Amino acid sequence: MATLTLEPEKQKKGATVVAHYDIAADAKNRISLRGAKTKYFHVKAFANGCYVLVPRLLVAPQGLSARSLKMLDKSVAQLKKGRASAPIDLAAFTER
Amino acid sequence: MTFNICMGLPEMEALWQDLSTRKLQCKLDRDEETSFKKLVKALVFLSQNPRYPGLASHEIDGLTRRYGIKIFQSCLENRTPAAGRLFWAYGPDKGDITILAIEPHPEDQKRGAYQRIKLSALPAAKLKSGGQERKP
Repeated sequence: MATLTLEPEKQKKGATVVAHYDIAADAKNRISLRGAKTKYFHVKAFANGCYVLVPRLLVAPQGLSARSLKMLDKSVAQLKKGRASAPIDLAAFTER
Repeated sequence: MTFNICMGLPEMEALWQDLSTRKLQCKLDRDEETSFKKLVKALVFLSQNPRYPGLASHEIDGLTRRYGIKIFQSCLENRTPAAGRLFWAYGPDKGDITILAIEPHPEDQKRGAYQRIKLSALPAAKLKSGGQERKP
C-alpha cells in the first residue's frame, strides 16, 4: 500500500544563498518573507536572537490508522489459515 | 444468495463480542449505540448483497497487493464523507464474508494535520557555542 508519509529529502551540502536582505519587524513584531517558496515553516528561535526557518510540507493523513492496519494484519493472517469466528447472528439486533 | 458474516480473529471477534454483549445488556453509551446500529445495518446489507449500492463496496488495490487476497471496503454510512469503514474479504468458506477491521472515523484533512507536518528540504541549523535551543 502506498504510504502518504513523505520521506525527508537528502540534505544537500552547502545551501546556496539566493537572497540577502534586511527587514524590520512591524508593530506586532512580525516579519515578512519575500518570495517564500513554501507555505509552512518550522521556526527555531535561538536565545541569541537568531531565527531559523525550515520549509515544511503538509503531509496527507494516512489512509488507514495504525490500529486498524494492525487489526487487519492479524485478521488476514488468521483468515489465510482458514480461521474466523463462527457466523454471527444479526437477527437479535435487527428485530428490535 | 445470503452470506454468513464472520469476524476476523482475534480482535474483531473480541470487539463484536464486547459490543453485542453490552448491547443486549443495554450498557452501550450513546455514541456506541449509534455506531453499533450503523454497523449492524451495514452487516445486514453486506450479508444480503455485498454490492448493495449504499455500502459503496469496492476493492482496495493497495490492501489486496499487500495481503495477496482481495480486500474490500464498505462504508458504514451513506452520503457522509467521513463515514466509518468496514474492511472485509470473502472466506474462509464459500458463502462466508469475514470482517477484518473497522475504521470508525477516518481523520480528515484538517484535524491533526499540523501534527503530521513533515519534510525538511534544508539542513537544520546547528547551534554553535553560546546558544540554547528553546523547545516548544
